[in-house]
Amino acid sequence: MLGWERMETARTRLDPVTVGLLALGFAVLLIGFYLALVAPPDQQQGYLVRILYLHVAAAWTGYLAFVVAGIYALFYLFTNRPAYDRVSAASAEIGLWLSLLMVLGGMMWARPTWGVYWVWEPRLTSVAVMIAVYVGYFLVRQAIEDPEMRAKAAAAVAILGVINIPITYMSVYWWRSIHQTASIDIINRKVHMAPAMLEALLVNLLAFTLIYLGFVRLKGYLAARQALKEGFDG
Amino acid sequence: MRRIVTLALRDLRLELRGRAGLFAALFFLGVVLLILGFALGPEKDDLRRAAPGVLWVALAFAGSLLAGRAWAVEVENDTLDDLLLTPGSREWIYWGKFLFLWLLLFAVALLLLVLVAGMFYLPLEQAPGLLLTLFLGATGYAAVATFYAGLVARLATAQLILPILVFSVVVPVILAAVRATLGLVEGVPLGEVAAWWKLLAAFDLIYLTASSLLFPFVVEG
Repeated sequence: MLGWERMETARTRLDPVTVGLLALGFAVLLIGFYLALVAPPDQQQGYLVRILYLHVAAAWTGYLAFVVAGIYALFYLFTNRPAYDRVSAASAEIGLWLSLLMVLGGMMWARPTWGVYWVWEPRLTSVAVMIAVYVGYFLVRQAIEDPEMRAKAAAAVAILGVINIPITYMSVYWWRSIHQTASIDIINRKVHMAPAMLEALLVNLLAFTLIYLGFVRLKGYLAARQALKEGFDG
Repeated sequence: MRRIVTLALRDLRLELRGRAGLFAALFFLGVVLLILGFALGPEKDDLRRAAPGVLWVALAFAGSLLAGRAWAVEVENDTLDDLLLTPGSREWIYWGKFLFLWLLLFAVALLLLVLVAGMFYLPLEQAPGLLLTLFLGATGYAAVATFYAGLVARLATAQLILPILVFSVVVPVILAAVRATLGLVEGVPLGEVAAWWKLLAAFDLIYLTASSLLFPFVVEG
């Protein structure tokens, strides 16, 4: 009884780390926004290049979110602790939103650059598949009533879904097509960017990462309260 | 290894005797082909261009009907617990069920290949390549389907949830298989088609390894 109460009081108040991460994240985002606007226009793309700061930052944190979701899903399967399942679901959800943001930014950039919003080329297709997998993830969570079964099935989707991430990332190298290869090339360890642009991108990336971490904690905390109400906890 | 084959053959024998699942899938397959043929026909070129898509759409849909069969037998007869209680690790149960579903799927795929060749002018000169694509595609599909079907076998809504689960993860396999088939039909050099085969094989390996390793953790018992 005592344990339950302590758990409840611990979770009914937002902890300072979550608030701090979110506040810091949005503050850095403002700086990133400023830097993105003062960074020089691109030689070929002109001012359009500014979408990159949003697009790439969202893409990277999206990948990160899905990988984290997969890792916590593995933890869940090994330990059966509901907390891991909640973090996994929170991370997957934020990853899904970030991916949609990434696609939206990409489409706004693609229309003036390629002339179309969408083409069925390898990178875009693999991104579409990745998004489909995580939409499926939430369909599965909706469809299964039993909390333990839901957590197991969702974990299985999250783990098999992670396989798409490296394929999505590498698709621009494996099938050379219309999508740019990475400006920060971690495969060949080269950076194809002007320092001012790189700085703006990295600041935005930091902002997105902080906001991501804050939201995962926030979502996890909300899910924990929900679980307390449903009585599925351990 | 022995028990894997034994389990698969037993399930196959039961399936052939019962016929419920297999007949439903075959009937469904026929209807899908008729509808697609009617919708896309009657121009020969249109049909031929659509053939790879038709082949894999039909196989994926029919596969989702078959997917639950591997475990439905156990649940219907209340023998799942007995199976899980068999001494030894549980991976072999996964492999046995996988083999069963794979044999079933591949047999359906072969029939489908002939039907699509007949109705949609799929060029059978490329038969070795097409067979390889079907082999790889069926492997990936069966790997994922067996895993998820085992996971949800005991749920009353298993038949409803299974397609969502399977399709959300198996999409890359189907896409790669469609592209490989398309390449064969359009006469693209084999080197380019091989890139899709490699991708398919990579998916098969990853899905099979991950599924068989995770299976003992997710199955109830």
